[in-house]
Amino acid sequence: MKVDRWKRYFANLTPVIGLLVLMGAFFVIGTKEDINITYGLQTIINQSVVVAVVATGAVFIYTLGSFDISLGAAVAVSALMGAISYNKTKSILVMFLVCVSVAILISLFNSVLASFFNLPVFVTTIAMLSVLNALVLILIKINGTGSQIAVPADAVMDLDSLGVKLTVLILFVIVCIILFNFTSIGRMQKFIGGNATCAKLTGISGSKMAIVAFAIAGIGVGLGAFLTIIYAPTLTKDTASSVGMDIIIAIVFGGMPVSGGARSKIYAAVIGAFSMTFLGQIMILLNFNSGIGQMVKAAIFIIIVYIASSNHKNKLLPR
Amino acid sequence: MKDSGRSMGKRLVGILAIPVGVLMIILILCGAKGIRLFATEGNWIAFFQATATVMITTIVLSINLNSGRFDFSIGSISLLSSVISASICIRFGLATGPMLLISIIAGAVLGLCSGVVYVLVKLPPIIISLGITLLYEGAAFTVTNGYGVSFVANNELVSFPSVFNYIIVIVLCLAFAIVVFDHTKFGYDYKALLSGQKVAVETGIHEVKNAIICYTIAGGMMGIVGFLSATNTGTIQMALNFGSISIMFTAFLPMFIGGFIGRFCNEKIGYFIGALTMAFVSLAYARLNVHSSVQQIITALLLVGFLIYLNNEKVIKNIFGFRKRRAEKNYEV
Amino acid sequence: MKKLVKKVLCIMLCLSMTVAIAGCGSKKTSKSGDGKLDMSKKVKIGVLVSDTTTAEALSFRKYYVDYIQKQYNVEFVYSDQMKDAAGEKSALDTFITNNCKAVISFSSFDRASQLEQCEKAKVYYAVATGTLTQKEYDKYKKYEYYVGAVGPSLELEYQTGYDMAKHYLDKGDENFAIFGGALPYYTEMHIYRVAGMLTAMIEAGGKDANYDGAKTKDEVIAKLFKAGSVSTGSIGTIQVLGYVGGYDMDDAWNAKCKQMVQTKGLQILLAVGNGSDFFGAAAAKAGVKVASVDAYAKNYGDAMQGKMLDYMAGKFSASIGPIFIATYRATLGAPLHNDKGEAIALDQGYWVAQNNDEFQKYYKVDSSIEKPAYTKKMLDKLLKADYKTFKEFVEKYKYEDIQTIGE
Repeated sequence: MKVDRWKRYFANLTPVIGLLVLMGAFFVIGTKEDINITYGLQTIINQSVVVAVVATGAVFIYTLGSFDISLGAAVAVSALMGAISYNKTKSILVMFLVCVSVAILISLFNSVLASFFNLPVFVTTIAMLSVLNALVLILIKINGTGSQIAVPADAVMDLDSLGVKLTVLILFVIVCIILFNFTSIGRMQKFIGGNATCAKLTGISGSKMAIVAFAIAGIGVGLGAFLTIIYAPTLTKDTASSVGMDIIIAIVFGGMPVSGGARSKIYAAVIGAFSMTFLGQIMILLNFNSGIGQMVKAAIFIIIVYIASSNHKNKLLPR
Repeated sequence: MKDSGRSMGKRLVGILAIPVGVLMIILILCGAKGIRLFATEGNWIAFFQATATVMITTIVLSINLNSGRFDFSIGSISLLSSVISASICIRFGLATGPMLLISIIAGAVLGLCSGVVYVLVKLPPIIISLGITLLYEGAAFTVTNGYGVSFVANNELVSFPSVFNYIIVIVLCLAFAIVVFDHTKFGYDYKALLSGQKVAVETGIHEVKNAIICYTIAGGMMGIVGFLSATNTGTIQMALNFGSISIMFTAFLPMFIGGFIGRFCNEKIGYFIGALTMAFVSLAYARLNVHSSVQQIITALLLVGFLIYLNNEKVIKNIFGFRKRRAEKNYEV
Repeated sequence: MKKLVKKVLCIMLCLSMTVAIAGCGSKKTSKSGDGKLDMSKKVKIGVLVSDTTTAEALSFRKYYVDYIQKQYNVEFVYSDQMKDAAGEKSALDTFITNNCKAVISFSSFDRASQLEQCEKAKVYYAVATGTLTQKEYDKYKKYEYYVGAVGPSLELEYQTGYDMAKHYLDKGDENFAIFGGALPYYTEMHIYRVAGMLTAMIEAGGKDANYDGAKTKDEVIAKLFKAGSVSTGSIGTIQVLGYVGGYDMDDAWNAKCKQMVQTKGLQILLAVGNGSDFFGAAAAKAGVKVASVDAYAKNYGDAMQGKMLDYMAGKFSASIGPIFIATYRATLGAPLHNDKGEAIALDQGYWVAQNNDEFQKYYKVDSSIEKPAYTKKMLDKLLKADYKTFKEFVEKYKYEDIQTIGE
């Protein structure tokens, strides 16, 4: 019995331990390879922060047992709209507000469409992925210069600092933790994710909760879009195109169950995003070719997620 | 007898309404622009090639998705199996027949591996499929040193594309899927697990075995898709960082269309008709020279529109029914 | 208890990262000041590549990793595949972390930002197989850490397209189709290549020939930038029978490619990029000749042999040798500048194979890692060369010219 308890502890802590191990490996290999560890850590924060912020918001959607594959495209559209608005108004505040508002609107559109017409959320987001990708091309064609829409680098240079990025990340994570762990929103979402029928029978509205979850995720997307612009103010058709899949990987890597429910946790997104980046950095340190590097990454990903989920297995195959 | 005829008529209307409706709209649009939908032999080949690849991908997607197993890895299986088969055939100077066979075997083995990992680690399939996708994409890249495979100059291997060959592939795959999933013990078990996993397992159905067979069949069929794509152009382009998953998205709309048509006939035939419909649409995009961003929006709207109909069918019918009744009432007055 | 342990671990994690960032000082790039080339220390050079799967990128990597790295005391650190400016910035950050003393960039989502980032980090920056725009060059030519660029300028890209079309126009061919590659995404080098093709057609099309009203090179370029595609139709006596752009690679795109190649009367398909892989098989069946701009890779050789490819303007893998030397010199404390003390900007074009024999001859040299086009002995001459010698060396880029350089 006691052994089981420790096993459970260990399994639950696996994502955190995994991150620590990856950090350790980064330090050890990095020292051996004589890298600039200080700069490396800054790099890792820079590389992780957008995924961490967007994924933190997305945890609310995952908790319901749904998932949104269009988040990366939503980041791109929000960032493009933000950049267009900056170029028209020369105001960072307007750019920020446009990024967040557009992202929330896209998210709400997704959820309202799904709720109002009883559509499966995932499929709605697949359709939205196509629409948003097309929108990216159209926005660049109409408002861009050639293949891009760019905010002048000087305009955002001061904001491109770890202080700003970490502040955004920490504040957003704190707000999400409060909403998720200390308000009825989080409890209801976990309830719906755990057992939608029971939740419905106790009077919880799945549709309303979906709208709330998507709205919070929208805020994350908007913040991610804003951070994308300040990090790299030249936006092209493939801006943030990898973010969509990175979010899924980060959330799972951080120990979040894809089925949602009571075991969902906000910090999974941050742990996962940083773990992924550390892993990527280690692969570059080892100078693998792209193919082998990707295979090693895949193996480590499966192992960590396997250990993290090892105490939640049952007789039936998971779906 | 009369009822049966009416029912048969109703079924035919149900089966043909969507493809015929879509074709009519496309023909009207083409007519308005003075363009013939099928102007050259190339148009016919492209049409049947699209029908075959989309139909098989749709069947594959549905095999696991209907059972609640979301599989991102089907594109990477198609990629790696075609890389393996093309590399072997180029090296040993083999023809298209062996290439197809090797593709199927390689795909089945890759699918089997994917299934075995799934049942061993017992993680949600979506997670496993993410890892497997990365693994297979990485393997394809490593096997070819990143160059991919090109055999454009190999007249034998690029001779496959023809209307006849694609029709044969479509018929055989469709027949195989119908027989395996509708007329074997495996198929009955599959359906039992699909409708009630816990009950089915408790009645003694071997879920692990069934799941592994599903993955193996799906893999083998994706091997065929890989073969069709490779022989279509004579090249296999590499994909990394989930670049291979896009093929999966082409199958959602035909899957839903197929699901709807499946009410009137065998579900797999529904998928075929769904794929046929999408092939009409793809060809129309090409003939009408529709910009890719517009294509994306139209396809997405079709998907959403169709889903809205499917998920609100009763409400929509009620509205129409209500109107009909009201119209009748008004007439009486 | 469980939550407490987790919280403690998380706090430890955050603290350790914060302390590490705050506690360590930044390292300064060391530079030898005495002008001697001390090659005893291994130099790490980052290589920024946006697409790691193209034949061109792979050939270049082979030359650097399998040849240059073994000949010189350098280590190349390659970036992962990237898709946007954020990816570039992130990869540069990784190079700086890895103490790379220089970066050779093959990626161009945001060159200005790359340059600024490297200058700030005191890491030498060089552009391979491309050049900056004049406006960019004027801005950055005095930057201390900007080494310069060696590669085809936009003017040369234009000329490449022009020469390709002219090759067939001179033979009397009149019916063309164009594959515009990344033209719909407004990639400048592809726009310039297409502009070259169309201008050649205008010149050959007779007195009143024009492309959508455009008659001069600049007008054609402006038209292409505005439309983001190529209009089909007559250019005087010359016909543009078909056009496909982009890399959608879906069923509709494949169908478009097939139908274009099978257009009645089509003689030549001019591709701004890889033409044989996408069109080769169908073109061979239809009896259409394909001309491409790409690199010297085995599959293109096979296509040339199998008559699926008729003309190739290809970058040769050793073409990135001189920019490596310029970069390496900079890291050794002997940067190369032009006569005005500015960063170098040198034009270097393609090897053009107009038949299989030529292709195979070029490919043999290009694919060799024992004796590539630019060997160590040849490159060593550039280590202490002045600007004039370096420039002359680079400008002798044609296959026959390189043979005259000798070791």
